[in-house]
Amino acid sequence: MRTRHSMDKASPRLNRYFDVNGWLFVAPAVLLIAVFMVYPILYSLWMSFQTGRGMKMHFDLTANILRLFSDPMLGLALYNTMIFFIVQVPVMLILALLLATMLDDKRVRFRGLIRTAIFLPCVSSLVAYSVLFKSMFVQDGLVNTTLLDLGLISSPIPWMTDPFWSRVLIIIAITWRWTGYNMIFYLAALQNIDKSIHEAARIDGVPAYGRFFFLTVPMLKPVILFTTVTSTIGTLQLFDEVRNIMTSDAGGAAGPSNSALTLSVYIYNLTFKFMPNFGYAATVSYVIVIAVALLSLLQFYALRERT
Amino acid sequence: MKKAILPRALAAIALGSASLFAMTAAQAKEITIWCWDPNFNVAIMKEAGAIYAKTHPDVTFNVVDFAKADVEAKLQTGLVSGVTDSLPDIVLIEDYGAQKYLQSFPGSFEPMTGTVDYSKFAPYKVALATVEGETYSMPFDSGVTGLYYRKDYIEAAGFTPADMQNLTWDRYIEIGKTVLEKTGHHMLGLDPNDAGMIRIMMQSGGEWYFTEDGDLNISGNAALKAALETEAKILQSGIAKPAAGWSNWVGTFTSGDVASVITGVWITGTVKATLDQENKWGVAPIPTLDIPGAVAASNLGGSSWYVLSSSDVKSEAVDFLNEIYGKDVDFYQKILTGQGAVGSLMEARNGPAYAVADPFFGGEKIWQNFADWLAMVPSLNYGIFTNEVDAAVASQLPPLGKGGSVDDALAAIEAQARSAIQ
Repeated sequence: MRTRHSMDKASPRLNRYFDVNGWLFVAPAVLLIAVFMVYPILYSLWMSFQTGRGMKMHFDLTANILRLFSDPMLGLALYNTMIFFIVQVPVMLILALLLATMLDDKRVRFRGLIRTAIFLPCVSSLVAYSVLFKSMFVQDGLVNTTLLDLGLISSPIPWMTDPFWSRVLIIIAITWRWTGYNMIFYLAALQNIDKSIHEAARIDGVPAYGRFFFLTVPMLKPVILFTTVTSTIGTLQLFDEVRNIMTSDAGGAAGPSNSALTLSVYIYNLTFKFMPNFGYAATVSYVIVIAVALLSLLQFYALRERT
Repeated sequence: MKKAILPRALAAIALGSASLFAMTAAQAKEITIWCWDPNFNVAIMKEAGAIYAKTHPDVTFNVVDFAKADVEAKLQTGLVSGVTDSLPDIVLIEDYGAQKYLQSFPGSFEPMTGTVDYSKFAPYKVALATVEGETYSMPFDSGVTGLYYRKDYIEAAGFTPADMQNLTWDRYIEIGKTVLEKTGHHMLGLDPNDAGMIRIMMQSGGEWYFTEDGDLNISGNAALKAALETEAKILQSGIAKPAAGWSNWVGTFTSGDVASVITGVWITGTVKATLDQENKWGVAPIPTLDIPGAVAASNLGGSSWYVLSSSDVKSEAVDFLNEIYGKDVDFYQKILTGQGAVGSLMEARNGPAYAVADPFFGGEKIWQNFADWLAMVPSLNYGIFTNEVDAAVASQLPPLGKGGSVDDALAAIEAQARSAIQ
């Protein structure tokens, strides 16, 4: 009753900030976020200015940042990550968009079944599917044997022992895993487009590809932006697939010639495989943060609403 | 009536667990151990625990089996965070990483210099766990290497077991080409992402990625250069079947696909697990590098036990290791016969199990051979950055296989290693 009383008196706008009940309701959530999100982020920022080995760390404002610029492994990891990003994200999103458009057509039979089949990979566990891919793509695995028996290739493709093919394999794997996931977003958005718009265009004589490029795609723009940003973040954080398909445990490289070394795998190596240097690993993790922020800004800019 | 059962059952469970806690509090002598191979060091540690428990009934053992990478990741996280509750009392660490842990986590491991008589162990195992005069490990297994070969395949290609003795690498590749031509079997399985073979060859040439003082030793390292040249020859000759990762590599010989395996003695158990291949295997010394001073013996892997200083039962843990691993010669006979573990306690080698002829290998006295080769392994300082340089070396192997220049590879390794070891 007291709060009701005070609410009548104070200005309603300011009152929001002094409402004890409101704060009590959000307190558990805020507390959890503070402990498990805000504190680790701030602490990792603090850690990124520490350098040394294992427990013998000391503060140094510039050491890690200078090391970033003279680190060939970081350069390679950035290069690999960018290749995966530039090749895989567009391929996957275009594929997802085409599949969604096709499955939106009422004339296609078994739509539910096909939709489920394409979506199913992204329900599978990252590690489980990586291990399966690994066993399928080894030198005398299922894929090479099938291709050889069909006469499509004359000698086995070195999926895991050649730098070029190992990247191809990673791209195939993540495309298989995530295309269905993005397709679902497009399908949902397609169903929100008013059918009468398409019908009007059809009556006006706009051909099918014209309706796709000048009606469907522009109206899907917000969803395309959303899937581009989430896929970018996902690709920049690529870890499970590379770690499970490409890395052998015994002090080896991430893929032949480190051809599949991504930023996340490099951070893992710095922390757990190499001389434990949590400070430098934290600095490299901020490279991902900055890269994601820059790329997302770029994408927001490219897909902005023009008025 | 029925409703009353649940609270009563709960009360019973609570009482039961309370008395259980009381019991463990009274004993409180459980030693937790982390290690990684269920057929090898896990089984061996359980055996050691069973022997110790006979004379010390108040001590119980909890041997936890992880993958090796997980043991290392959990250990590093626990040590850095300072949350020592989650750490075990005894942990197994691979020898390549020993100095890294001892030097970057000072005070976290318990020195045993005062308790254990280290003069009884192979000197190279003691040296690699010693920092500033204190030794921290209970030396465990050795990774002395051998050349395991399929007698039936090489005989089918027109060679005899005598041809497999005292090989040079060039001769080994020559035999491999003939075997591949006549039998269709590759000579060996090789993972081009893994530098293990390079380490074997380099150590047999008496050098390592680092000098005795711990400085980087790449561009002037004759053994490393010869090793890279040999690996390039093997890759280019086509005698190697490419493998991707550990289990795929193991599969190349357990499936009966390849004609030979060059690796550490700890693989013996895996080779012997292929029962249908009994009597088909022989063991010879590894081929020799073509540089002065190179020997036909090397080392790959091997590990030692460490007691954590944070442990509340560390005196029991040290006593346990010293009683069993430091003194019990019979125990070493048991683990040699059972798991194929060649320990580094020198007097264990005079025991009966080492003199036994192994029927799986057609009656060869392979353990005596391994013990002899062990004495020839060049002693080295593995330094604290072996994993970093190893990753640099591994990334240069695929270009070498395609005919790349060895000098370019050495320069690239040097550059990548320099930046990684700061």
